[in-house]
Amino acid sequence: MQVRLHVQRSDPVTGETRLQLFELELPREATLLDCLEQIKDEVDGTLAFRRSCREGICGSCAVRIDGRTALACRTPVAELVAEGHAPTIAPIGNLPVVRDLVVEMEPMWQKMRAVEPFLRPGPDCGLDGRETPIPSARLDAVRKESLCINCGACVSECDAMTVSPEFLGPHALVKAWRLVGDPRDDAVAPRLKGLSGEHGIWECTRCYLCNERCPKGVDPRDAIAKLGAEAIAARIDRDRGARHAKWFVTSARTTGWLRESELVVRTLGLAFSFAKIPLALRLFRRGKAPLPLPRHRARDLAPARELRHIVAGQDRRGALGIVQGERALERIDFICSPEQPVGEDEP
Amino acid sequence: MYGPEDVESSHDVLVIGAGCAGMRAAIEAHDAGADVALVSKLHPTRSHSGAARGGINAALGNAGEDSPERHAADTVKGSDYLGDQDAIELFCAEAPGDIYQLERWGALFDRDDEGRLAQRAFGGAGAPRTVHAADVSGHVLLQVLYEQLLAREIRVYEEYFAWRLVVGATGCDGVLAWDLARGGVRALAAKAVILATGGSGRVYCGSTNAHACTGDGMAMALRAGLPLEDLEFVQFHPTTLVPSGLLVTEAVRGEGGLLLNAKGERFMRRYAPEAMELASRDVVARAEQTEIDEGRDVNGSLLLDMRHFGREKMIERFHGTRDLALTYAGIDPLEQPIPVRPGAHYHMGGVATDVDGRSEIENVFAAGEVACVSLHGANRLGGNSLMETIVFGRRAGRAAAEQALKRSGSAGLAPSARVDGERELARLLERHQGERPSRIRDELGASMHENFGVFREEGGMRRQLELLENLRERYRHVLVDDRGEIFNSDLVQALELGYQLDLAVCMVSAGLERRESRGAHSRPKDFPARDDENFLKHSLVRWSNDWLDLSWKPVTITKWQPQRRTY
Repeated sequence: MQVRLHVQRSDPVTGETRLQLFELELPREATLLDCLEQIKDEVDGTLAFRRSCREGICGSCAVRIDGRTALACRTPVAELVAEGHAPTIAPIGNLPVVRDLVVEMEPMWQKMRAVEPFLRPGPDCGLDGRETPIPSARLDAVRKESLCINCGACVSECDAMTVSPEFLGPHALVKAWRLVGDPRDDAVAPRLKGLSGEHGIWECTRCYLCNERCPKGVDPRDAIAKLGAEAIAARIDRDRGARHAKWFVTSARTTGWLRESELVVRTLGLAFSFAKIPLALRLFRRGKAPLPLPRHRARDLAPARELRHIVAGQDRRGALGIVQGERALERIDFICSPEQPVGEDEP
Repeated sequence: MYGPEDVESSHDVLVIGAGCAGMRAAIEAHDAGADVALVSKLHPTRSHSGAARGGINAALGNAGEDSPERHAADTVKGSDYLGDQDAIELFCAEAPGDIYQLERWGALFDRDDEGRLAQRAFGGAGAPRTVHAADVSGHVLLQVLYEQLLAREIRVYEEYFAWRLVVGATGCDGVLAWDLARGGVRALAAKAVILATGGSGRVYCGSTNAHACTGDGMAMALRAGLPLEDLEFVQFHPTTLVPSGLLVTEAVRGEGGLLLNAKGERFMRRYAPEAMELASRDVVARAEQTEIDEGRDVNGSLLLDMRHFGREKMIERFHGTRDLALTYAGIDPLEQPIPVRPGAHYHMGGVATDVDGRSEIENVFAAGEVACVSLHGANRLGGNSLMETIVFGRRAGRAAAEQALKRSGSAGLAPSARVDGERELARLLERHQGERPSRIRDELGASMHENFGVFREEGGMRRQLELLENLRERYRHVLVDDRGEIFNSDLVQALELGYQLDLAVCMVSAGLERRESRGAHSRPKDFPARDDENFLKHSLVRWSNDWLDLSWKPVTITKWQPQRRTY
């Protein structure tokens, strides 16, 4: 199989960046990592990239392929080069480039360390010198998150981190949930307080790219949502982000629709909202936001109330209430179809 | 980006390698009061321990009656009576306590209906004793150990390639390392050094091992004058995907997957009529190799057929395996059988140590796959290697800390050591003509597979030694393309190849002298039987001044006299 690739090269000394075209011949089952290996072995030994396990478990070889982050070792190259396409391979985003496809991971590790990523066991853990008995289902809450291989794909894709480099980001927050959600951890409240501050849980913009691109199905955005839900359930909800989220619920419950103009006041508080009046006026004038009065109200409140009723009936508090993305949509279909009993497929 | 880094530093204990054994050792040395640091060519969670799937053995008795004695008896038998029984007994007795500690640290093991740790049956075990976390047991352990490392703020020299032990008159003074990220030679002084660099599977072209498994620690020990024990014993896994060598889980055969030869025959009928595809790993690997050697193969492979599983079972139970076949072989196992062959999986041999990881040099220790305690003897049981990293990592960490704290003064390396190291690397980097390492590496891997694979015989091994001599000669002119300082992985790969070549010579030399068939060392043509009279002993290989010295040491037997090994 003929493979043509553009690889982004960057010189660590001069900082110069360029695209280099490589033309290779590989077996049809080759992966992108096989291509990089062939370049290094036979064409140009100076190409720098990380790799080790070549089976998607060590997390070394995340790169951007035509802008989308993936593990090189898990990417069959045949799909990439279909119809003569020559993909562009670049280092992952939101981390400084060291050389070619190698980035400096330290900023990511720093954020991981910031969430105190180790269990703080309670006093009753392992009292008899043996394991703490835990029902298997209780551990399900953190099973997905335990699959994280620290490859940085979510960090690479995170728009919020691009705009706000201090944001803890999806990777660190996955680790945070891994511990907050662990029934053996005894530091949940202080953890949630710490995570609810500036650059924490609520800085996520919910673009879902981390869920989309995570090679292990960890679904980082779901972990962030679970953290948020647990924080609100524990009344750690003073952050603007938490107030913003809570207002959505209040608004939907009372009038069935979102009342955007009140949202600003509820999120920022009255004093800060004054500063936004000129912006608000411009928005009203251009028809981008409704006027505060009359209140934005759904014609029929019943469906919104019914939905709320279904959720409340399932007794899903905190993180258990988090069902998102495509899986969540499937579940809603499931719940609404009359021939299926409700609640059989608990998370 | 990078802060300035001292080219020299000093610690009580230095652990080389940051997989499960290395991290466990560092944690213990720290808790024993030593100033400890890790040196690793990869970030710790990139280590190959993370690829271990099945689980970790300890006689907890949660899923059925079990005891450390039964665990020990199974391990002794599994080792084909070459394991040292004092080490095995100690290992089995201490394993349960280590499991509970891992659980308290936060390891996410699977639970049974009562919320206790679930245990499953594994090959060669008389009771269900393998604790597991789905099929990502090693991954889960690696993460939890890294978490504990962070909790203790233990220093890690990340992406430092340790390539030389500096040994002086009073023992080892530390190591020289190449700083991959920034470039340059670093001198890391220590009062005690623990090798925990893992296995050497990359000596073979078909291997389940990661690219990083190049036997660095074994070769470093060898060059420092230490003996390597039982190097001839390499475990081959019967179902590795061709050509990548990736592991296809045994569960495929457990659920009814069939092994077929070129004629479409279920050949296991002729080798293990009762157990068929579910016979033990070494039996299936040998059957496959026989089929290949006698020409009933398909381009060097046998076929693993799971088409009869049907779409539903395939997607529900073997989504991962199907994904593996689609991604790495371009084959949908729903439509076609997948090509497999035996592949190098685990090295039973390694740096000779006692039960505290201590080597012949008083302050050099080793733990995990790099070491040979000897726990596995001639054949390892599944689930024992992860447990080995924890039990012996812990013991080595404790002993190294005590050793280091006993030594007075601060650790130091003679400045000449670093200068010598720099000069040596400069010579390599200044070379402008020669052969690229990849060609030598590929020939090494293919020839080891051919001549020192599942089966060995005198002629093949002698041929291999000649070939290795030729490869080592070519390696003297190896060419590093990359002359840069920053992230020069080309240089590291060339150094790794040098290690692999040395190791291969030791492995084949030991194999040649072991004139019997025992465990993973199988010589059906010239010495088909086990020979307890002459070879119930460990091989020891040393290397000094280009001279290879082979000697033997007795096996420690406490309770279990050698018997015929049948299952």
